[in-house]
Amino acid sequence: MFQDLKVSFFLAVRGITRGGRGSLYLTVLIIAMVFTNMIFMPSIILGFIKVAEDQIITYQTGNVLISPHEDESYIEDADGLLEKVNRIPGVLRASAHYGTGVTLRNKGNTVSASIVAIRPNDEKLVTDVYRKMKDGDYLADGETNEIILGIQTSGHKDEAEDMGATLGYMKAGDPVTVEYTNGVSKVYHIKGIVETGSYYADQGAYITWDELESVYGRKMNQATDVIIKTQPDAYEPDVKTQIYRFGVREKVQTWQDLLTEAMGRAVQNFTMLNSITIIVSLIIAIVVLFIVIMIKTMNSRRQIGVLKALGVEKGIIINNYVFQVIILTVIGVIVGITLVESMVAILTVYPFQFPDGEVTPVVAVADLVNNSIMLFIVACIAGYIPAWRVASEDILTAMRS
Amino acid sequence: MIVAENLTRVYDMGKVTVQALRGVSFTISRGEFVGIMGASGSGKSTLLHLLGLLDRPTAGKISLGGMDTGTLNDRQRTRFRLKRLGYVFQDYALVPELTVEENVFLTSMVRGTAKEQYMNETLEILKRIGLSDRMKHKHNELSGGQQQRVAIARAIVNKPEILFADEPCANLDSESSKNVLDLFKQINREMKQTIVMVSHEEWHQEYFDRIIILRDGEILSDGPPA
Repeated sequence: MFQDLKVSFFLAVRGITRGGRGSLYLTVLIIAMVFTNMIFMPSIILGFIKVAEDQIITYQTGNVLISPHEDESYIEDADGLLEKVNRIPGVLRASAHYGTGVTLRNKGNTVSASIVAIRPNDEKLVTDVYRKMKDGDYLADGETNEIILGIQTSGHKDEAEDMGATLGYMKAGDPVTVEYTNGVSKVYHIKGIVETGSYYADQGAYITWDELESVYGRKMNQATDVIIKTQPDAYEPDVKTQIYRFGVREKVQTWQDLLTEAMGRAVQNFTMLNSITIIVSLIIAIVVLFIVIMIKTMNSRRQIGVLKALGVEKGIIINNYVFQVIILTVIGVIVGITLVESMVAILTVYPFQFPDGEVTPVVAVADLVNNSIMLFIVACIAGYIPAWRVASEDILTAMRS
Repeated sequence: MIVAENLTRVYDMGKVTVQALRGVSFTISRGEFVGIMGASGSGKSTLLHLLGLLDRPTAGKISLGGMDTGTLNDRQRTRFRLKRLGYVFQDYALVPELTVEENVFLTSMVRGTAKEQYMNETLEILKRIGLSDRMKHKHNELSGGQQQRVAIARAIVNKPEILFADEPCANLDSESSKNVLDLFKQINREMKQTIVMVSHEEWHQEYFDRIIILRDGEILSDGPPA
């Protein structure tokens, strides 16, 4: 058996290295393109999901989000909850948010937005919004009459970059009027403009907790949500379990839960699109390889007949062609990986621009392995069938062809 | 030793049947150089194919080296051809992607012979046929006569019990043909090699120990050359 495979491999290597160069290069190129097609689409989808993950964690909810119980609008005793959560193993810091709808006005421009009250010192330990100041500075604890606007609310200098209604290119130092739902209307000094690339963060407005209390005229011990940054080595689902164990009755979700909730349908659609791409690619691969081996075997019918006459078994002849296909596929996959990695390198420097940020392809090793295996399986089938057909011919019929 | 008993081969060509051999019987002893001759369509190639286990008779029996070949299945026939028979074809039939030495040692490789052994045997046989300086050449770098000598080397490298040759000089000029036939004769004498060769050239008769002449699928004569 091993000896037979050795002979098949010997014949296959000779067949490839001393056969037609043109068909060799063309076949390898087609396999490489098929492989690239199989890998590239999932890498973009993965890149898109990675951006969504990063943005959810970095600018939106942290690693874990606590929101009010389903029957309630607010988390009561927010301070008590923060104290409790900050003691839980695996939690780096928790930060309370109080979000409410407001109307912002600047000259003739009006924008309805969500304003979020934060404790800046806590927030800096949970999100990276403070690192993304396009203009001015971030808020500080205890400050009042100051506001930070997201770039999609303040507006770009070039209106074409705006994704919706804005206040018309406001800068740090400008005044902006904020009308609250409780009837309070107040003019704020814009302390800074934030631009994160996350639409959620960039379309918001931020004030301090002290400012919120001044607007409402009372101590605020309620929150609309609490966001949590976990320790780098902590596993979010374990932290979620710990939070429940500490007696928290509010709704607790990890970023994975939120991503599934927000993008579940989109991911499903992407997966379906990806599957279609892979199936079409595999069909192309199987047809091309089938034709290549069919032509090779048809052109070698007499030679196959002679080999059988000399006592070379059918299996050796078939495996010769299967090995040829496997070798071509190995070379094709190597060229394909080179192409994919080159494209990834280029797209890392010049990423795709999406509303939620810059997307660079992310090539998962599992995708490389799985798609290579699938390609090898179809290649073996595509090589085996035509080789089997010709090798099964009667010796004299083959020799007379 | 070859024993053919009442060999018949009928080809079914749809509505027509062609009887290529009609009850042919003979015995060939070890070491004989036998020529099968006859006009085109007389059945000589059909007979060679049956004796060489490339085809099965419609009726009759073939024994090679004491083995009743009718009892062998396809796989056993393939192993039998590999281990006990050698072939030389009209158009050389060398594997185009292989060099001279690779063509020669291919069947040894299939037989599972150790590399060192088959390389030595290949070198030895190529020296014997005068092509040891062309070992690394490909078939298209050789003349027709040289290619046929490589095919002969391939056929005899494993020291087969019987060597079959199907009009091996058909594509060669007379000088190359003479060289090839001299080589066959030399192999026959020096190695006591049994050779069964199909030919239609009258002048080849002088090389054979015995000639079986066929006509319309039957033996017209069987004996030493005139």
